[in-house]
Amino acid sequence: MKNKIRKFCILLSIFIICQFTSGCYDSREIDELAYPIAIGFDKGEGKFLRMSLQIAVPTKVAGGGEGGGGGEGGQSSVSITTLETPTIYSGLNMINTYVSKQINLSHVKAIVFSEELAREGIEKYINALMRGREFRGTAYVLVAKGSGNTAEKFIREVKPELESNPAKYYEMVLNAYGYTGFTAEAKLISFYRNMTSYTTQPVAVLANVSEFEDSDDITLEYSTYKQKGRDYPLPGDYTAGNMPKVGDIKTEVMGMAVFDGARMVGELDGEETSYYLMVEGKYGYSYVTIPDPQAKDMFVLLNLKQSRKPKKRVEMVGDKPQIYIDIKLEADILSIQSGINYESIEKIGILEKATEEFVKTGIERMVKRTVEEFGSDTFGIGESIKKKFLTWDQWVAFNWKEKYRHSNINVNVDVKIRRPGQKIKTVPAHGSEKEEK
Amino acid sequence: MEKKIIFGNREAISLLLIFMCNQLFLSFPRNMAESAGNAGWILTIYITVISLVLFLIISRLYKNFEGKDILDVAEFLGGNIGRILVGIIYVIDYVVIISVILREYGEDLKIISLVQSPISFVLALFAIGMVFGAFFGLEPLVRLGAISVPVIFLGFLITVVGSIKYFNFSNILPIFGTGLVEILIEGPSRTSVFSGLTSLFLIAPFLRSHDNFKKSGFIGLILSGLILTVGNLVYSLVLPYPSTTSNFLPIYQLSRLIEYGRFFQRIESIFVLVWSMTALIYLSAGLFFSAYIYKKTFKLEYHRPLIIPFGIIIFTLSLIPKSLMETMFIDNSIIRKYAWTVTFGLTLVLLILASIKIKVKEGRHKDEK
Repeated sequence: MKNKIRKFCILLSIFIICQFTSGCYDSREIDELAYPIAIGFDKGEGKFLRMSLQIAVPTKVAGGGEGGGGGEGGQSSVSITTLETPTIYSGLNMINTYVSKQINLSHVKAIVFSEELAREGIEKYINALMRGREFRGTAYVLVAKGSGNTAEKFIREVKPELESNPAKYYEMVLNAYGYTGFTAEAKLISFYRNMTSYTTQPVAVLANVSEFEDSDDITLEYSTYKQKGRDYPLPGDYTAGNMPKVGDIKTEVMGMAVFDGARMVGELDGEETSYYLMVEGKYGYSYVTIPDPQAKDMFVLLNLKQSRKPKKRVEMVGDKPQIYIDIKLEADILSIQSGINYESIEKIGILEKATEEFVKTGIERMVKRTVEEFGSDTFGIGESIKKKFLTWDQWVAFNWKEKYRHSNINVNVDVKIRRPGQKIKTVPAHGSEKEEK
Repeated sequence: MEKKIIFGNREAISLLLIFMCNQLFLSFPRNMAESAGNAGWILTIYITVISLVLFLIISRLYKNFEGKDILDVAEFLGGNIGRILVGIIYVIDYVVIISVILREYGEDLKIISLVQSPISFVLALFAIGMVFGAFFGLEPLVRLGAISVPVIFLGFLITVVGSIKYFNFSNILPIFGTGLVEILIEGPSRTSVFSGLTSLFLIAPFLRSHDNFKKSGFIGLILSGLILTVGNLVYSLVLPYPSTTSNFLPIYQLSRLIEYGRFFQRIESIFVLVWSMTALIYLSAGLFFSAYIYKKTFKLEYHRPLIIPFGIIIFTLSLIPKSLMETMFIDNSIIRKYAWTVTFGLTLVLLILASIKIKVKEGRHKDEK
């Protein structure tokens, strides 16, 4: 009898515990939640904010391969909504009134600010995002170029063709900097960290919708090559939206927005972003086009990668910082248009020297822009001089941000070409002169 | 009855680790950043060294009182009045600290996941667990602690290793943070971080010998100091000062950042498990000691009937602070600044006076002979 009562008590306890733990005030079923994967912020009317949410449609994502995110006729794996709201969280409240499921932000992969908003300053939004428990520091921060509601425009045009899962699309596109070098690793946590830092300033990925509808519209006038004193554009001489391309995918991410605190102060194009990554030590590898050192209007294509972490140091000469940056790169040859035998022991040095000079000039130009034009130490060069101070107050009184604006830059680039690809030398085509022409 | 319980150094060290390191999962790294800027880890090393020195002095004095807990020492020194006085101070110390920590755990859970639940509901869940744990008694608690500590440590290790890719060594520069003078001045009061050491003075009779007492305390302090320093250092390496002062759950924030590819992410679920295990053992042991001290202070026969009343008192006290900010203020600016007066101050005074009394007694014996 005693045993039976004991068993009964145990069963009763299990039953009561189940009642208490299976669903309390916070119980929310997964099919009752809606997961935005991108969130956009534009300037609204007056003091308002225009917020756009790109919400994943799980049934379409699960189906896979049905036209991806951009399919027509109800095939889209995302649903987009835009509204005017005083603040982020009140906007979510408003959206919850007409979206059948409760909005949950724990899967947001991209946070897009319009350029107008970014230039005004986004501190209050970043702080609000960091305070919220659902946002994750690993989400990417993007700035949609141009005037007007560019964030909304960008989000509405994101229609991945090769990926049915829109969240994976963002992850893959924004992580591609590892093999393109044209965008930066700009996550929410690093943005917040650098926004409050006394050394490093934050950056964001530049995004935009393509300027060109038809291939006949393509023009090179938006390219940055002229500002660099070139006669022709190279692959990185563009920012998002200006790339000379048309196609089903209208959106572009290229280059990066430079911030001073939480206010956008300028932008770097794709090539400059590659150099930024090299100075940061986050450059993976990418195909780089170098003007042929011995043949005019010809190119050498290299697969460039960073072989060592960069060395950065600062020395104070009087009140002026002297910045020394030492970059070590490795390269494999992909193509030599002129057919000059740079693979040979005798000539490899010429190509290495030309590459070093090309990269050095690019880095110096880019760092100089951050010094003179933006006044923003995006690389955290100031970190290398912090060790000379003993206390935080001394470091703050030094006022590195102000000193950085008067810096002199010395860059040293060392390139070693390791492999020639699958060919050890170029054998010219054998034909009549007429055919060659 | 409790005196029949004997446990080894491993159990004692585990208990001490839970008592002293649980703050790492609360706001300890942030508090250190508030006090010393980016040199919070240096402050942690400094307070560990001070605490070790104080403990070695205490341990030396304790040699004369092998097998006695702090209440026995107080009784030896001041009779019933001495025992009751020290007992009441210890009970108040435990009840206040446990109720504040209970509130912090409850508030943390509310912020992390149970957003819509009323705080009383969340605290009640903790309080029920705490009462059950305390009912089982000291032995199951320390044994559970010995099993849980390696699991908790593994969870902490995953967070540390996972954060490596965010390390930036320049974050800990300038090396002396807000200043060496501030660190030196702030240090002694910050030894309150090790207020959990009082549990060692209560379990002394269960540790067989004075050597075990000394060994457990010494190793417990060194390991706690090491874990707290590493936790602080990792936090400072990931986030630069002054943003380190803005997160109220620093280690949880670190665990949220861990992401290796598409598969290995959202590690904070491990953190929540580790964190709950720590909370359960810490709160249960704290409640047990509150009831145990009270029983011993007033020479009652059993401690179990006291567990539910003490549980209710702690639960009620935990609801008094109006907000999380007020709770954190009590923890950081009162408890973690003045708890040393009981842990080290009172204990040292008692032991010194009791040692003098022994010497005087021995002198009298010699004179009589």
